[in-house]
Amino acid sequence: MVPNSQVSRLDRVLLAGAVITGLTAMFLGVYMDAYLHEGISIGGAGTALIAATLGMASSVLFLLMGDGFRKVPLGLIAVAAVCLISGSYFGLFVAPPEHFMGDVQRIMYVHVPTAWNGLLALTFAFVAAVVFLFTNDFKWDARMEAAVEVGILLAFLLCCQGAIWAKPTWGVWWDWDPRLTTTAVLLFAFAGILALRRFVDDPVKRAVWSSVATIISYVDVPIVYFSVRWWNSLHQVQSSPSTVSSQFYLPLRLNAFGVLFLMTGFMMLRARVAALRLAAEVAPPPEELAGELA
Amino acid sequence: MSGGYITGGWGFVWAAYGWTALVLTGYAISLFVRLRKVR
Amino acid sequence: MITALRKEFLLQWRTRAQAVAVFVFGATALLLFSFAIGPNSAALRQHAAGFLWLGLLLSSTLTLSETFHAEMENHALEGLLLLPVSPRALYYGKAVANAIQLIALGIALVPVMVVLYDAGTTRLPTLLLIIVLGSAGISAPGTLYSAMTSQARAKQTLLPLLLFPLIVPVLLASVKSTSLVILGDPMSQATSWLLLLLAFNGIYWSLCGLLFDRVVED
Repeated sequence: MVPNSQVSRLDRVLLAGAVITGLTAMFLGVYMDAYLHEGISIGGAGTALIAATLGMASSVLFLLMGDGFRKVPLGLIAVAAVCLISGSYFGLFVAPPEHFMGDVQRIMYVHVPTAWNGLLALTFAFVAAVVFLFTNDFKWDARMEAAVEVGILLAFLLCCQGAIWAKPTWGVWWDWDPRLTTTAVLLFAFAGILALRRFVDDPVKRAVWSSVATIISYVDVPIVYFSVRWWNSLHQVQSSPSTVSSQFYLPLRLNAFGVLFLMTGFMMLRARVAALRLAAEVAPPPEELAGELA
Repeated sequence: MSGGYITGGWGFVWAAYGWTALVLTGYAISLFVRLRKVR
Repeated sequence: MITALRKEFLLQWRTRAQAVAVFVFGATALLLFSFAIGPNSAALRQHAAGFLWLGLLLSSTLTLSETFHAEMENHALEGLLLLPVSPRALYYGKAVANAIQLIALGIALVPVMVVLYDAGTTRLPTLLLIIVLGSAGISAPGTLYSAMTSQARAKQTLLPLLLFPLIVPVLLASVKSTSLVILGDPMSQATSWLLLLLAFNGIYWSLCGLLFDRVVED
């Protein structure tokens, strides 16, 4: 249960793989597609799609690492900060205002990346939950807890950004857009799972139950989305806020990678916190106390 | 679609970016605090 | 599994006073909703379906939290079950019993809805189908969560906290289809909502049954 503080061979391989895929992803996604506007098409799949997949693969490889490299999450967060600052700079000051939405469109450069990565985080949570139920390895319980917390953080931000976008665009703070409404439901569902974890004292039960709850809640996501979409279909005349019609993709790509690596760094650190807390929870009493009890 | 051109709205843009930055930074700080506490 | 079901019915029959109390709670909720809108018959009629299902949903927390009461009282859930049945059979027994309770409650609340909101309908078989599917949809995940929360702290708060976001599709579909049945359904949309309810039930009755083993194991 004690976190492994030594760098294993596997950790080195994972780190190398993560860095290589991450750099390739950024090269493809930021430089080639956004800057040069020259996408490589392979059987119809755009550069962007390949870059996104590589980015996600990189994130997964980082998340699979043990605790050996203490500084890696910090490095990830630093890289993320650079991406986000430059991406936001381009989005705020360099990108042209959009056709209909004017300058309010710039919110999309931060809203869309948050949306992609929020769903990604919760997908990680689902996968971690399934893996935990199969392996009973508490490493995955820690990863699941981290993924759920980061996921609801991004979902919360998504709702806020969506409301801030909706007010000048539609005049109301909330317009029951299916994607945002689903996000709100998700937010409550997964926040409930964190609450469940807090109220269960037995670590094994806590891990099993929250994994089960995560699986059930995640399976619900597409169902909620479709039901809200049908429910809202009679009134829905406006376009969804997540469409980005701008031809200027650079800030979007930069911010997407920024949030991806930020999320990954956060999840690595948060999983470490969870693992250390669990270790402290199940640790035997310290020496002095044992002496008194004898 | 609203059909019109929305002028201005920079306040909302700054609000969105600023709030996002604030929340993410706050979370990062909370993470470091928790990590320090549990070590 | 039939044994499990029979045991559940016996338990429910012995505690039937509780069922009456839950009905009174549900009816009171419907009354309170009308105070929220005001004595506007048109508005009340339009929202009647929503009130019915909200009332049913709130009452379900009372029913569901009692599901494992007997097991908890005898500390039977920890490793042992009251009857030597497989956990899966136990789950389906309890979930079906809960669903039937909710269906009965739903049927009982319909006259209350008709009277308070002037929201009657002639399409009774369809309404019954909606109540059956909606109640089943609440019961499947509700029974699973009830097994967890009855062993945790703050059980009263946890169950609705976990359950309500999850069954949003059930609520939407049930309210929409009930509303169409009451107010008129020119484009026959009710069928699509019923299909959604059917799909939700299909997915969750199997998924929760599958996962229940892990929830009650020691």
